Amino acid sequence: MKISKQTRGFGALAKRGSLLGVAGVSAAALVLSACGAAPDQKSGSTAGASNYKACMVGDTAGFDDQSFNQSSYEGLQKAEKDLGISINKAESKSNNDYEPNLRAMTGAGCNLTITVGFLLGDATKAQAAATPDKHFAIIDFAYDKDIPNVKPIIYDTAQAAFLAGYLAAGTTKTGKVGTFGGMKLPTVTIFMDGFADGVKYYNEKKGKNVQLLGWDKDKQDGSFTNSFDKQDVGKQLTKGLIDGGADIILPVAGQVSKGAGAAVKEAKAAGKDIKLIWVDSDGYLTAPDYKDLMLSSVMKKMGEAVETVIKEDKGNTFTSKPYVGTLANGGVDLAPFHSMDSAVPADVKSDLDQIKKDIIDGKIKVDSVSSPKQ
Amino acid sequence: MSTTLAPGTALPGTAISTLGWKIPVILGIVSVATLLFCGILGPDSSASFGISQSGDVFQIPELTLPGKATGIVLGLVMVAITVWSVMLRRQGRSIPAWATAVFVAAFVMAFLTAMVGGARLHEISLAGLLGGSVTLAVPLVFGSLSGVLCERVGVVNIAIEGQLLGGAFTAALVGSVTHSAMLGMLAAAVAGALVSMVLAVFSIKYLVNQVIVGVVLNVLVSGITGFFFTTLLQPDFEHLNTPPRLAEIDIPLLSAIPVIGPILFKQSIIGYAMYIAVFVVWVALFKTKWGLRVRAVGEHPQAADTLGINVNATRFWNVTLGGAIAGIGGSYFTLVAVDSFTKEISGGRGFIALAALIFGRWNPIGAFLAALLFGFADNLQSLVTIIGTPVPSQFMAMLPYLVTILAVAGLVGRSRGPAASGEPYVKE
Repeated sequence: MKISKQTRGFGALAKRGSLLGVAGVSAAALVLSACGAAPDQKSGSTAGASNYKACMVGDTAGFDDQSFNQSSYEGLQKAEKDLGISINKAESKSNNDYEPNLRAMTGAGCNLTITVGFLLGDATKAQAAATPDKHFAIIDFAYDKDIPNVKPIIYDTAQAAFLAGYLAAGTTKTGKVGTFGGMKLPTVTIFMDGFADGVKYYNEKKGKNVQLLGWDKDKQDGSFTNSFDKQDVGKQLTKGLIDGGADIILPVAGQVSKGAGAAVKEAKAAGKDIKLIWVDSDGYLTAPDYKDLMLSSVMKKMGEAVETVIKEDKGNTFTSKPYVGTLANGGVDLAPFHSMDSAVPADVKSDLDQIKKDIIDGKIKVDSVSSPKQ
Repeated sequence: MSTTLAPGTALPGTAISTLGWKIPVILGIVSVATLLFCGILGPDSSASFGISQSGDVFQIPELTLPGKATGIVLGLVMVAITVWSVMLRRQGRSIPAWATAVFVAAFVMAFLTAMVGGARLHEISLAGLLGGSVTLAVPLVFGSLSGVLCERVGVVNIAIEGQLLGGAFTAALVGSVTHSAMLGMLAAAVAGALVSMVLAVFSIKYLVNQVIVGVVLNVLVSGITGFFFTTLLQPDFEHLNTPPRLAEIDIPLLSAIPVIGPILFKQSIIGYAMYIAVFVVWVALFKTKWGLRVRAVGEHPQAADTLGINVNATRFWNVTLGGAIAGIGGSYFTLVAVDSFTKEISGGRGFIALAALIFGRWNPIGAFLAALLFGFADNLQSLVTIIGTPVPSQFMAMLPYLVTILAVAGLVGRSRGPAASGEPYVKE
């Protein structure tokens, strides 16, 4: 083009100065985005007697996700108080942060580094191989082959989700219940499998035909937002479930579950009676915005597991044998009904107690392809 | 005044008609595939489409279509249109627009019937499908309008994502502090405009490569909002991250029209603003003196300058205005969709808006329709996974992007943007 040719000389001059500007902006961006990821030294020498150090690397959802990062971190904080150890943590801003964060942790002298989530599986494996003298624990992930210095902390969530499925089927008024996931990962679909089986068990036992929208256990396929960020997509999906007739919704989508909360709130304002079942933690307590909508929650008790593993490692009894949370050891459970207590029929409540006993005794077998192999 | 164009270049936004065999061939492939997969191999069970929602004043019974027969009939209609297009082509004429529309409508209906008929549950809400499409399209429309305003004046705006995210964050914060959703929305516009001003200053005054500034701005806004979310919003959740909602305004009677009533007449202020903004931007760009100047600056800044238009000032204020519009779109996430901010809540929608803008050929109405198509494909894929489609959900998730590629490559034809878009202007 004519103009640009004539002005190229001047443009080049001006561009040199402006490059500095861009460098400045990008540096600022980098600094700010790194802030979330920078390992911040906690307590350190103030811990006193013990120089045992337990550390944690979170995934991209952050330690304030009102879900599994948060409850894991609370377990770490509790261990700090109860066991008098020092702790350190790093949040990951993107998938590329896992390895540097892990390196930083082992470099900072952590005896045990706990990584939170499926997404850190490969990074943890790599770091464990690089520093065989350090111990690691990974939440929600197990390896095909045992790694001697990594302890998987996993949950047979399907057991608690089975209870939730039965509860939902026994409480629904429309005869339809719904679920959706954030991404099609085993730790997500295990909830949906258990939920589907619970609904099926109710139908078999009571001769009813409660339908489940959003998940087909046989095909292992269903509804996903394909993102843990886009809350409005989760909201729209929930609206779709409600339009389809579901009146109890189980969102298994991290932050995106809040979109489900918003949709249910709106439906409630429009005069529909829709209820939510939360996952990971007791939603009545951790998602106060939506507590009036919570029928119950399928809980994974991460905090307890984290503290148990730290205690073991501190007492030199670390093994690579997975910690599997089940109904039997209290690692997974169905949360109380809180304000919805009156909405649950009495016979469903007594059935749930019986089913829980039967699952613990092995009389009812809850199968999911995503269940941890023991 | 007039802008001079080199011979052979078309006006931006006009498709260069390539009277080749491409269109008949595409129509042929699509119609045969429809006839085969939706018709002959289509589902045996019928598909139901709910038209009224529970609580509507007028209850219309649902529409039930037999799976296989519908596919065959619609497939044959499509084949007929293809044959006609071949005949027209041999006479050197191209197929009229209404026939293309019928073809697309027949395809969508055949596809829907096959999907719903073949699913585990054979029912879908048509009202929910269309209503949800618009809902999902709202931020995309605002984002692409921002892109239109910037590119028409000669500045490439890759920072739409950052403007949306900045708007969402600011709306949540200001809305929570002031307890006013309207103030939150205005603050979002200011935040979007500020992001845009950085883009404007760097690209207009310092002549930095506009694509690079845009990308860096996206990272910057993501970093800033993520940082303040963790350090500010999250610790004091109740006071800083519980913005009031913008209520839906229900226009009586009109909103009771089945299917389209709620879409047009039961929206939040942002929803109504979307329709108005599309129209206003279109009129302003193509029917006013201001619009002519803006387009002149985007096409041939030197000519515009010669005629006494202040090129860089026009660019600066247009880019700022674009940012404000995208900011309002961002406030949709935190004031209408959900009632709190979380990191990366915009989730890459700014980039989809950018695609909608190009797909819509740098025209506000085109961008609006493109965004609606995205919203439709996105909502359709999630609704059919709810009822359990025969197609794996991962493939369904590709639908919005597949539709775009097909539409851009196949049906739209070649289009080109404003000539000076991305070119800094330096006065001699």
